[in-house]
Amino acid sequence: MLKRTRFFITMLLLVFVLLCARLAYLQVIQYDTYWNRAEKNRLRILSITAPRGEIYGRNNEQIVTNRPGFTVSLVDLGDGYSDDTIARLANLLDMEREEIRNKIRSQFYRRYLPIRLKTDVSMQTVAEIAERRTELPGVLIEVQPIRNYVYADFAAHIIGYLGEGTVPAWLEDYWEGHDDYKYRIGDLVGQAGIEMAWEPFLKGVDGGIQVEVNSTGQAIAEFERVEPRPGHDLYLTIDVPLQFSVEQALTEAVERLILEENLYAGEAAAVVLEPHSGRILALASVPSYDLNTFHQDFTDLQGDRRLRPLVNKVIEEAYPVGSVFKMVTALAALEEGVVSPNERVNCAGSITRYNATKSCFRGTVHGPLNIVQAITRSCNVFFYEMGLRVGIDNLAHYTRRFGFGSPVGLQDIFGEKRGVVASREYKQEIYNEPWYPAETMDAAIGQSFQSMTTLQLANYVSMIANGGIHYRPYLIEKIVDSEGEVIKIGEPEILYQLEAQPVTWERIRQGMIQASLPGGTAARLADFPVSIAGKTGTAQAAGSGSKIPSHSLFVAYAPVENPEIALAVFVKHGGTGGTTAVPVARQILEQYFNIEPEEVEEEDVTA
Amino acid sequence: MFDRRLLKNFDFLLLLITLAICCYGLIVLSSATQGLSSADPLLHVRKQLTWIGVGLAMLLVVISVDYINFYRWSWYFYMINLVLLGLVLYIGKDVDGTSRWIELRFFDFQPSELAKLIVIITLARLLVDCKERMTGLFSAWPFYLHILPPIGLIFMQPDLGTALVFIVIFFGMLYMAGVPLRNLAIYAAAGIALLPILWSRLMDYQKMRLLVFLNPEMDPLGYGYQLMQSMIAIGSGGIMGKGLYEGTQARLQFLPEQHTDFIFSVLGEELGFFGGAFLLALYFLLIYRILKIGSYSKDSFGALLCTGVATMFSFQILVNIGMTISVMPVTGLPLPFMSYGGSSMLLNMLSIGVVLNVGMRRHKIQF
Repeated sequence: MLKRTRFFITMLLLVFVLLCARLAYLQVIQYDTYWNRAEKNRLRILSITAPRGEIYGRNNEQIVTNRPGFTVSLVDLGDGYSDDTIARLANLLDMEREEIRNKIRSQFYRRYLPIRLKTDVSMQTVAEIAERRTELPGVLIEVQPIRNYVYADFAAHIIGYLGEGTVPAWLEDYWEGHDDYKYRIGDLVGQAGIEMAWEPFLKGVDGGIQVEVNSTGQAIAEFERVEPRPGHDLYLTIDVPLQFSVEQALTEAVERLILEENLYAGEAAAVVLEPHSGRILALASVPSYDLNTFHQDFTDLQGDRRLRPLVNKVIEEAYPVGSVFKMVTALAALEEGVVSPNERVNCAGSITRYNATKSCFRGTVHGPLNIVQAITRSCNVFFYEMGLRVGIDNLAHYTRRFGFGSPVGLQDIFGEKRGVVASREYKQEIYNEPWYPAETMDAAIGQSFQSMTTLQLANYVSMIANGGIHYRPYLIEKIVDSEGEVIKIGEPEILYQLEAQPVTWERIRQGMIQASLPGGTAARLADFPVSIAGKTGTAQAAGSGSKIPSHSLFVAYAPVENPEIALAVFVKHGGTGGTTAVPVARQILEQYFNIEPEEVEEEDVTA
Repeated sequence: MFDRRLLKNFDFLLLLITLAICCYGLIVLSSATQGLSSADPLLHVRKQLTWIGVGLAMLLVVISVDYINFYRWSWYFYMINLVLLGLVLYIGKDVDGTSRWIELRFFDFQPSELAKLIVIITLARLLVDCKERMTGLFSAWPFYLHILPPIGLIFMQPDLGTALVFIVIFFGMLYMAGVPLRNLAIYAAAGIALLPILWSRLMDYQKMRLLVFLNPEMDPLGYGYQLMQSMIAIGSGGIMGKGLYEGTQARLQFLPEQHTDFIFSVLGEELGFFGGAFLLALYFLLIYRILKIGSYSKDSFGALLCTGVATMFSFQILVNIGMTISVMPVTGLPLPFMSYGGSSMLLNMLSIGVVLNVGMRRHKIQF
């Protein structure tokens, strides 16, 4: 055998003898020590939940904070869990036995960690458990931070709720793409709104303690401790007083409709943006829900199939928008050169083309109108004509350029819907039928297949205000870590710009300005001290002649000279735009511009 | 036809020791995986048995090809190795921030396991081809150049434990090939001197991983905890052990990786000092046999193959068992033929196949 081979074998033998020696040391000499420790092996790891990042309004108002809450956990003391303990616990915690057993089963591969049975239990339950400590071996009470929503049902659709459910793979990947975030099954994680999209920033990193527990499961000695790292605080772009008044205005409008025995009413949405940045100042969906009692109410909330309070109607639902769409048709007509800026078209109350007769709202005869007057008075006949002149393909093109038919780009809340742009391709794909020219007329006034989200409308009116710039709407002003260091600052992001001639923008804006003056469809705003450009919409919710009330819409920006805000209001089955959506918008504008509310006066205004 | 003379030189004892360790492993595995799968308590044992079977089949394939062909195909192996290691960085399955596995239909393939054997083969050829470069201090550069790409790719996964195995195999083979000890000491010293540069190039999370690797106390809720539980398990086993399936530590699942990396802790608890020493004795016999075959091989290529395999096994055994009794850092290296896992079982069987192959063809065939 080679010399070097012999050396190798000698070394190997030496190493193995050393390993054996170490084994002998542990198993023979230290045997008693280790045997004792194994016998009462009660070294457990208690997790210290990191406080979740807090959420603030744009002027540092607290919106979501944390408070201490009690969590009841169960720890394996070495011989499993007795049916007796489980039965007693089920009784005390008002849980099913099977539910407890399932939680135990889900953690079979990490039995040294306590199993969290119920979070945020009442003081009374804690006292009851403490009294019966000896009958409940292995039951632990831990203090954990619990979410505290300062204003209960305020901005619920923006904030979103937390839950324990299963997380889809795409979301887990999205989260884990950030920071050093790690999702574990059973974690309480954001399931909607900002809590969901910003989960990796909000969560923080849990700490833990190595403790020795006694025979009843109480920690008697602490060995190692790792402090948790709190989550990052989020400062939103939300203007808290404005958000309040948006929510209030929508709720009141809906309540008024219900009082008027409108059986279809109940849902509404509104969003307020800064047209020069895309900052969202307010975003509300009605009905909302109370985040503090969310988990108790969950079954009811989810069971409400009619009003669906959990759905964020600003982004998750698209509806026909009616006349608020007319500026798209106007822009298409002016840009394509099929109408000149001052050309008059006669409105005889109705128009007949391709064997279809279509009329103005309530058969009104407007007479000769130019494009500004047509917007001001929302003349359907004028826009039917414009639709036919530009054709469906051009119309669909400009509709898409205004951000319709695809998500606007909000990344702080998931679930934005695309909506539908009426087009030849869409009809072919869905109905497998060719496009009929008569349908172009409906498409030109925001009916037919057209369907848009409220956020898309707000972005659209912003683009009119700022000259065609599509900003990404955003909700995060800045992110600050627990040390107070700013980690991220939200900045305006331009996605693209829709180019149009200055005269085109001028004509469209002029139409909207005059709409909010006496004689316009939003004349309720005529006495408003700040100049407003707006457009009403009354969108047919069902076939013509149906008794189902139309959707009420209004889009606007103000002040006209230097736009600070752009807004879109949608009241489902709220009737005409002028009667329901305009007063809501007025309340919002009053709050924003600090103006005394108007005298409540009932008058009939047509859309 | 299979040559009769080949059978005469077939080392049945080596195969027997291997199978003995496998059986031992299966018994401990059946205890370590109790309750891990409620539907089929023997799921892991059955799977492991399948890997042993497949491994034996592959071993037969390996011994039927004269190992001199491995010498010829060495460069193909080398290229395949780099491609696989590169591929795993891109399409690898992400587990806790590392990508080590390529998902196949039947199992998760771990290219770094196969890479060990390939590096042994390709390095053996290089050492044979460049014998004259062995003694000079600087002329040995091709050996370094050869080993650097695979180690670099494994380091990027990042799999520090396996990267370390490569370094040890490298030095083991250089030593057995006849590189002067003084040179080896200088290379090692130079390598250590370069560490700070490497360190500065690491990402923060990689540094953290390394620090925890060297000092598990930094992670008292993770590795530190595992280590303490492992020592309690082994220490409480005593001389005779608590008896198979009687380990309380094991039953409580205190040891998170008890069927893979920490299987020795289960063995120590249930079968005691005798059980552990018996396993070490089996391992010693195994490596002794491998080295013996190496020393009788007809050429230095065969001898180097055996050396490489012996070094690989020795180091993994030392590090794995050392980890469970807190004399080595926690690395995640499997215990050969004992730990649960397809890739490592197949690789170990293939390695034994290579050694048997060298042994079978130790005489030049006479006409």
